[in-house]
Amino acid sequence: MMSSVPAADKKSKLLVYSVEECPVCGQKTKRAFAVGDYVTKDGSKCAKCGNQARVSLVYAESTKPSG
Amino acid sequence: MPLFPSVALQLSTDTGYLLYIIFFMGLFVFQFAFGTRIQVYFALNDIGRGLTKLKVMKEKSRKEAIDYLVNVGKAPSDPAQRVDQFLDYVTIMPVGIDPQGLVNKIDHIVTTNNDRVRAEVTALVSQNNPVTVSISENLLEVATALNMIHKVVRHYYILGKKTNSYFTLIQLQMLMPMIIQESDALLNAVDSFKVGQPVGDGIGPVSVSRMMVGKEKRVIAKDTVMAITEYKGRKLYVVKADGPMAYVGQPGVAIRKVIEEMGVKPSAIIMIDAALKLEGEKTGEIAEGVGAAIGGIGVEKFQIEEVATKNKVPLYAILVKQSILEAITVMRKEIAEASEKVVQTLQRVIEEKTKEGDEVLVAGIGNTLGVAQ
Repeated sequence: MMSSVPAADKKSKLLVYSVEECPVCGQKTKRAFAVGDYVTKDGSKCAKCGNQARVSLVYAESTKPSG
Repeated sequence: MPLFPSVALQLSTDTGYLLYIIFFMGLFVFQFAFGTRIQVYFALNDIGRGLTKLKVMKEKSRKEAIDYLVNVGKAPSDPAQRVDQFLDYVTIMPVGIDPQGLVNKIDHIVTTNNDRVRAEVTALVSQNNPVTVSISENLLEVATALNMIHKVVRHYYILGKKTNSYFTLIQLQMLMPMIIQESDALLNAVDSFKVGQPVGDGIGPVSVSRMMVGKEKRVIAKDTVMAITEYKGRKLYVVKADGPMAYVGQPGVAIRKVIEEMGVKPSAIIMIDAALKLEGEKTGEIAEGVGAAIGGIGVEKFQIEEVATKNKVPLYAILVKQSILEAITVMRKEIAEASEKVVQTLQRVIEEKTKEGDEVLVAGIGNTLGVAQ
């Protein structure tokens, strides 16, 4: 009958990354998210072919395996 | 000699039984008379602890909204008083006694409210950056939601305490873990909103944005854009909210306009959206189905179903499973990586359900914060 208010979940730390993808050769580079990043934003030059890469994904990864 | 110990033993055993029976009868009477009161006491303690947590969350979200308006929005004057008024602002839903035309009335009220929020936030910040304004709107929405949750819980807590209502308090006590969990999710969303990171709900826009890059975009409805592209001989009309602002747009209006005003005759409408997973389901799992894949109050869903039914256009849905916490906080890797599978699924559905030369309407539904096109 008794249900208790749970203590705050044990939060694993989330690290946020931006993935830059070259539209020509498909080379992907993962780096830390920087404020101002958004999906489709122009990124740096592709390390492989020198073309303009763009941010294809922004996501968070847990430092602990998610349960 | 043997007589006395036996009598003593007999007496002591009888007294023991008697005490035993009295103890349990007393316990029974005590439980009968005070059991409910004891449970009420524990329930009040439990709810009280939860209420304190909700209050902390409410105040934190309010402070975060004010800080954002001051530091990023460069509010010219202290926005605290205006924010407090904003938190208590109410939207009165239309009467439902006569349901005819109810959706249009709801749409009208909701649109009025959204326009008012946009105008007030724009007036509060001293810059016209649409990303900042949209983030401010979202932060104020979170603060409003937490304020309302705290008020409602406090109302039932005080009511239950005043009336000593066992059932009110027990129901509230049982709901508290879920209420705290959802409030916690809302508070966590603030961190993602502040820095403009895409949230889990943005998987629809992320998936369709790949098809819109480099194409000409036109504003098709409020905060909503459309691009035309091609896939294996089919002409695709791709719709999403205008990013990277924290908008959800008006996909219902957009789809109606494409079909009724632009005269497009799509062979299929394919909607991509985030869907709440059930406990035990995996985050990022993809589900397919039919019907309008869109949440919210129901206005957009109604508009899409209406125009699809009127024009006999089949509605297909591609859903990406996630929890409520994952939907409103920064997009998790499993969800982001599902976007590639979503595009593959979309291509397969297009190939299976339409033929070359057909027109297809594709809509990426969800909050498009941090996702341009």
